[in-house]
Amino acid sequence: MHLAVSLAQGEAPSGVQADAGLDFSLLARFVQKAEAAGLDMVLLADSAPVAGGDAWSRQVPFEATTLLAALATVTSRIGLVAAASTVAHQPYNLARRFASLDIISHGRAGWNATMVPDPREAANFSRPEGFSRDDFRRRAEEFIGIVQGLWRGWDADALLFDKSGGRFFDPEKMHLLDHKGEFFSVRGPLNVARSPQDTPVLVMSGLSEHDMEIAARFADVILLDEPLDAKADDLKRRALGFGRSPGEIKVLMNVAPGAETAAGPDVIADRLEEPFRSKSCDGFNILMPPVLSVLDDFVGLVLPELRRRGLLRSDYPGATLRSHLGLAGEEEQ
Amino acid sequence: MTAHRRQMKLGAFLWATGHHIAAWRHPQAHVKAGVDIDHYIRLARTAEAAKFDMLFCEDAAGVREADVNIASQTSRSIGFEPISLLAALAVQTSHIGLVSTASTSHNEPYGLARTFLSLDHLSGGRAGWNLVTSASHIEAANFGATGLRPHADRYERAREFAEIVTGLWHGKLDGASGSGHDGQCFSVRDPLDLPRSPQGAPVMVQAGASDVGRDLAARTADVVFTAAQTFEEAKAFYGDLKGRLAAYGRGPDDIKIMPGVAPVVAETESEAREKYEELQELIPDDVGVALLSSYLSISDLSRYPIDGPLPELPASEGMQSRQALVIEQSRRDNLSIRQLARHFAGARGHWRIVGTPAQIADELEARFEGGAADGFNVMPSYFPGELDAFAALVVPELQRRGLFRTEYEGRTSREHLGLKRPA
Ligand SMILES: Cc1cc2nc3c(=O)[nH]c(=O)nc-3n(C[C@H](O)[C@H](O)[C@H](O)COP(=O)(O)O)c2cc1C
Repeated sequence: MHLAVSLAQGEAPSGVQADAGLDFSLLARFVQKAEAAGLDMVLLADSAPVAGGDAWSRQVPFEATTLLAALATVTSRIGLVAAASTVAHQPYNLARRFASLDIISHGRAGWNATMVPDPREAANFSRPEGFSRDDFRRRAEEFIGIVQGLWRGWDADALLFDKSGGRFFDPEKMHLLDHKGEFFSVRGPLNVARSPQDTPVLVMSGLSEHDMEIAARFADVILLDEPLDAKADDLKRRALGFGRSPGEIKVLMNVAPGAETAAGPDVIADRLEEPFRSKSCDGFNILMPPVLSVLDDFVGLVLPELRRRGLLRSDYPGATLRSHLGLAGEEEQ
Repeated sequence: MTAHRRQMKLGAFLWATGHHIAAWRHPQAHVKAGVDIDHYIRLARTAEAAKFDMLFCEDAAGVREADVNIASQTSRSIGFEPISLLAALAVQTSHIGLVSTASTSHNEPYGLARTFLSLDHLSGGRAGWNLVTSASHIEAANFGATGLRPHADRYERAREFAEIVTGLWHGKLDGASGSGHDGQCFSVRDPLDLPRSPQGAPVMVQAGASDVGRDLAARTADVVFTAAQTFEEAKAFYGDLKGRLAAYGRGPDDIKIMPGVAPVVAETESEAREKYEELQELIPDDVGVALLSSYLSISDLSRYPIDGPLPELPASEGMQSRQALVIEQSRRDNLSIRQLARHFAGARGHWRIVGTPAQIADELEARFEGGAADGFNVMPSYFPGELDAFAALVVPELQRRGLFRTEYEGRTSREHLGLKRPA
């Protein structure tokens, strides 16, 4: 079973004491604990101005990709996934940021591409009229394709570092993208080397029915709200249509066990075991406020129960996020 | 040591394997710099231990050379994206400023303002943004099919961009109260969703030296990064820029002018010369000529005889100030294309000094005291060796002369630089 934790946007569960001042050291401790517990990855939401909301995200004074870079230097195993929107960035810049994060983290970075258009965001990015749902989707699809194309612009063995011969890289192993599409035109290549884990992990979330096709084509990890049996099957079937194997996509179900912690670890473990055994998902994305005591409860009570039931590995199988997720090439698994 | 002597500011300009175009081939250069974060953490700590004001990163959202054969003979086509690099360094250092270049031509102001503010929070008030307008066709081709926008348009966009970013940082742009921004190039509705900067606002740096570039700097910059070869050029630029400040209600101390300097230092002068010659020997001619072409904003300098003079060149839509600087140098010293190319390959048009710690300190002191600089952006020829050498040999010499700090003045970039905290 794969497990991720999300620093959730939303209210703290009642009765939970919020940690004072969400500074970097608190977030670092949170992620280090998640790493010590062997979780696959932490998902960092990116705050956006939510009308009238007093969301947790507002208390995180960081933009997600910069936060990821900082966290990468104080952890060594856990995967780090940052949300970044297709409206707030240009594909070249975003591909480059994540490629760089992947090298900084030695192959532990992922991009969570959310598919929910935020009209408020568009208004801050010189698009006061926003996007139609359909334009947003086609633009996002083109965007993601460019990003993944740029991530593959350098072959893994392109860099020669040949000082005496005077060749830094092999020109044959650098590829222009030369993309010309409906919304973007991008020459490439990226000026960041190939990822240590081949490409950063692409996580997709906030999917509507219409987005399933895009997710099946591009995503490594898909986050779905429950109930999801039919959707998970459907996604894997569609992936076959794009020449991918069903195992190349991991479907994680969003759960917010918050209030149930009081009900005891058995109840929560049952709730995770059932959909996992019935193969309707590959694991879970646990939504939790960035509060150490909430993580402590989950790690201290629920994880041992899952391990007792043989549902959870006890250590990281490799060094990269892809290897944690069972998505790495043969040489790394 | 005099208590209140004006002291120079120093930036440690990080770039790939080094600033010399052939740096990566030097036996002591760390050739894997562009894929090794630990290397950068080490450089950052060296610079911080030497009390540098800031780490400075250049940027280009694209490879530098159009010709892949040329590119493959340099180390400049891969590296870290600087904002993520500095975010990683932010939590591995405690005092040094963190300045990254970012283009107004290939970003949107809201996103960039937010990202730099996040870097500022991660570092406890040590972030800075070096505003550039980007003069490269290769970069432009990564952001649309229409090519490089004309010089004047790029600066028009830059002016509006800077106004929005500072408005957001200073909390003066708030759509909720009806003062969102609706302009020629951009519209922004909301204030930023992050708390105010620990230093009031990240430091604004600017590089760009044409007439419009200087005006924009006089209006918005806290620090100006510039290139000058001779004392006279540097002094003229310094006087001109400081002279423009009054028009914007600012005083001469509100802006720190920090020209680039590429030192090659060793205990003895002959060792320093040897070190420099060793690097010069590693430059392939075609790489040198291609680099020179790019600074002249001309694509095909290689079709002129390499031992002949520089041809007449049309006015540029690219880097006007750097083109003028190169042409001026070629006339002044009567240099052939080959000589000019080799000269520029070492420091890309920046001032280079080769010598002992005392000689280098003398030169820096002369420009600093002579009204040509408030400090310098130091461009080591290769990493880590030449940064180590500057920190170990030149910094103590400057400190002995009372020209450079021995302790940081505070914790934020503005405190080190002696800049006012914005209201
Ligand atoms: C000292 C200096 C450093 C610069 N560094 C960069 C850089 O790192 N990236 C970039 O895209 N442009 C850089 N530029 C280019 C400027 O932003 C600008 O695009 C160019 O100089 C044209 O403007 P100008 O004619 O006003 O100089 C630099 C310019 C100067 C003078």
